[in-house]
Amino acid sequence: MPEESYRRFLDPTVVSKLATMEVRARLVVEGFVTGLHRSPFKGFSVEFAEHRQYMPGDPLKHIDWKVYGKTDRFYIKEYEEETNLRGYVLLDASASMGYGTTGVTKIEYAKHLAAALIYMMLKQQDSAGLLVFDEVIREFVPPRSTPRQLHLLLSELDEAKPTAETSIGGVLHELARRMRRRGLVMVISDLLEDPDTVISGLRHFRHLKHEVIVFHVLDPKEAAFRFDGDATFRDMETGETMTTEPLSIRGDYVGAVEEWMTRLRRECAESRIDYVPIQTSTPYDRALFSYLEKRKRLG
Amino acid sequence: MGLTFLNSTFLFAALAALLPLIIHMLSRRRVKTVDFSSLLFLKELERRKVRRIRIRQILLLVIRSLIILCAVLALARPTLSGLGSGFTSRARTSVAIVLDTSASMARRSEDEPLFDRARERAEEIAQLLGDGDEAFLVSAGRPAGELLPTGTFSVDVLRDALGAAAPDGSGTDYATAVDRALAFLGESRNLNRELYVVGDMQRSGWADAHDGRPAAVVAEPGSESPRIFLLPVESVLGNRSAGGVSVERKYGGASGALTITAAITNHSIVSADIPVRLVVDDVHVGQSGVSLEPGATGTASFSTVVDESGWHTGRVELPQDALDTDNVHHFVIPPSQRIDVLVVSAQGAPADRDAYYIKRALDPGGTRDPYACAEVPATALTYQEQGRFDVVVLADVGRLDSGAELWMLEHLSRGGGVAVVLGRLTDIRYWNELLAAELGSGVIVEPVERRNGLRVAPAGVGHPLLAGLVFGERLIDDATVTRAFRAAPAGAETVLELPGIGPLLTLSRPDRGGRVAVLYTGLDGAWNDLPKSGLLVPILHRTTAGLAGAGRATADAEVGDDLIVPYDAASVNAPEVELPDGRTVGAERLPGTAGGAVLRRAGQVGIYRFRDAGAADAGGAGARPHALAAVNMPADESDLTPAANGDFETLLGEHDWTIVAADTPLADAILVARHGRELWRLFVYAALGLVALEMWIARPRY
Repeated sequence: MPEESYRRFLDPTVVSKLATMEVRARLVVEGFVTGLHRSPFKGFSVEFAEHRQYMPGDPLKHIDWKVYGKTDRFYIKEYEEETNLRGYVLLDASASMGYGTTGVTKIEYAKHLAAALIYMMLKQQDSAGLLVFDEVIREFVPPRSTPRQLHLLLSELDEAKPTAETSIGGVLHELARRMRRRGLVMVISDLLEDPDTVISGLRHFRHLKHEVIVFHVLDPKEAAFRFDGDATFRDMETGETMTTEPLSIRGDYVGAVEEWMTRLRRECAESRIDYVPIQTSTPYDRALFSYLEKRKRLG
Repeated sequence: MGLTFLNSTFLFAALAALLPLIIHMLSRRRVKTVDFSSLLFLKELERRKVRRIRIRQILLLVIRSLIILCAVLALARPTLSGLGSGFTSRARTSVAIVLDTSASMARRSEDEPLFDRARERAEEIAQLLGDGDEAFLVSAGRPAGELLPTGTFSVDVLRDALGAAAPDGSGTDYATAVDRALAFLGESRNLNRELYVVGDMQRSGWADAHDGRPAAVVAEPGSESPRIFLLPVESVLGNRSAGGVSVERKYGGASGALTITAAITNHSIVSADIPVRLVVDDVHVGQSGVSLEPGATGTASFSTVVDESGWHTGRVELPQDALDTDNVHHFVIPPSQRIDVLVVSAQGAPADRDAYYIKRALDPGGTRDPYACAEVPATALTYQEQGRFDVVVLADVGRLDSGAELWMLEHLSRGGGVAVVLGRLTDIRYWNELLAAELGSGVIVEPVERRNGLRVAPAGVGHPLLAGLVFGERLIDDATVTRAFRAAPAGAETVLELPGIGPLLTLSRPDRGGRVAVLYTGLDGAWNDLPKSGLLVPILHRTTAGLAGAGRATADAEVGDDLIVPYDAASVNAPEVELPDGRTVGAERLPGTAGGAVLRRAGQVGIYRFRDAGAADAGGAGARPHALAAVNMPADESDLTPAANGDFETLLGEHDWTIVAADTPLADAILVARHGRELWRLFVYAALGLVALEMWIARPRY
């Protein structure tokens, strides 16, 4: 496939039309990688980690024939690759993430991004884990680098649906308490909560010497509030409604959002947290670039 | 004041003011519900902004409704008017103009005739008339009349009638003119009705008709009373007038000797020394003068001698002032005439009684010149022809029957004279309770008797009737009265008196007209020696002549009056009249055997010469006048004092009336009252202002 063809897989609307999460993740990454001068992937040595029962489709070269000679059963050797990094992808699956006006909702964008990040991490022999949350942690898959991890994580991503309210701060604090080993925390969220709570949670990771990168995902209309005519706005998380005149308040709304994002940026910068504001219309390469830069700094 | 709408049908469109509200309500229903990620920021803005937006939306809603309402009201043309004319559009108007054409309007004000200024004001009214408007024109002279026989829808016809109008010498009668104008307007079909009175608003012109007030128009069901506009034309009020000329024959002097007395009135507000001239037969014969305080009347007297055999003309002249017409007062001096006397005696009275002495004193030779006496009993008085006798003498008749009383009172009303001799047969009670009041004479207190006799004396310094008969304080011949009646004079003039007792001979003028003389003693030797005295004849002659009107003030006729002159029907075939301006017109013949000519409604000031058109002198110079009559401006016309606002309140209190000052443009005053003050501009400006406000409030705020 020509390089230009792969580039189109950085377009969120294109990616959303792809069949499976795995395909999406792979094509996004490949689309991204083809734009790079050299491969970001590195090779590492691996160590045997565990056996598991053979399943049709597993590569035959990984069958442990010694165990077969002993047991007459086929078992596959799983090797733990040597990693530089333990990555945690934190996906906000609150109801507000279900908002979208560009053909791609925030949750879809976030999931695709998360999938791509996971794919890249695992390709780079890093371990990747996933945490899906709303007001509580819904799913948590500890980081691993096994070949099966990708499938497992992509499946979880696929099933994540936006529900309930947001409580990012609480989740961040809880995860921080759970994390035993340092790693890279990648938060993918709209951060629509009290900024103090969010920043407090993020700082908790930094306090524990984790690296943090925040992908702040917003819909273009959320940022610009471009609505025609009076409308009754219904909060997707609380159900509250408010009727207002968008034309009249747009200026103030945009200002408030900018002020909010500016504060988040500033607070993250002070805590040496990477803050990446993106919109659902933004091609994925921007986010992936941010990840790569971060990854490079970490060695 | 009432609010009316000239285009009231537009008011229904006021419902459109609800459109913004309806649209707003419908829009609210159609406001879409949008799922939004979070109201986090909107909630924060609500406190600061959204509430202001709601207020702004409500304000815009109200402003938009007001814009529509103002536009609708402007189209409906609201007006504030003097009358609540209901929900009518611009209605056609009928106007009646009462134009003062009286003599006082001939005066000049600032070198311009006052009437010209009145005419200009009436022209302004004509200019305000539009298509379909109707006009009537009535004069407020006396008598009031139509200057246009019917209403006109043509402004040109109205203007022509105004141009042809001019002041005459008549008095003023606003009240009748207003009545007539109201009657015209009452027949009009137009909804707007207006009456304009243009003149100097002389107070004297508002009296008379209908107890001093114009009668209100009979209101038709659903109709409205017309608006009345008073348009005074003002001028200086200083004026002096000559009037009330009396011609008295001097007694005891040369034949034809006359005393001419004129009443001079100062109508101005400053004192004046007024020179007065007397002209007889166009010859200046005398000069006098009066000094008068403001509002005072004085007399100027002159003496002259005329040929008693013919008619003479005269006039009293004052210097020119604001109103010239009343500075000349015309009068005529008739030739000496036979006086017809009817002596009424008691039935069966003896020959040597009062009637005998009276007849012998007046016409001793039976020549019937100058006094022609006839005698009838009191019971026959009722059957005598009215107007035939100049003087009726009741010679001690006692009582009169009711028919005789009525006859006598009628005689007085016609200007005749009555002499009463109270004597032996006098019924004191009858006299006191009935006749005395009717005759304006004193009541009898008691009969008086003095055996030694009471000397007859002149009253006061001597009545003019006694001229030449008084020497010092005594009469030139003594007369003694032994019996008489003590009377209480009731405003009568006393000519002779009984010192210490009371009046003996009195003269009075009853309210109904004529003159009355009363002698409170009988012409009876048992009562007095008057029949033997040298005083009886001259006193009887002079008293009788005075009662006959020889001293009557001349020129009672005013402009507008009918002139009636008696003449011998056998000697005049075709009566005609030469008017003061030289034209000759025919006169009517009076019905009846007495003969006479009538000129209806004399219209000019001056001398009228009645002639027989069928007669001519040998020189071919035309018929000699057989009678003259003088016509003057009505006396009350000289008082130029205008009516005050309080007078109009009394006179026009039931009507909606307005005074429009002379310096007020008529259009403004009339249109404000006719259509009211139009407010549509106000609403247009308000609407424009609201539009600007709406645009400013609704501007995008990004």
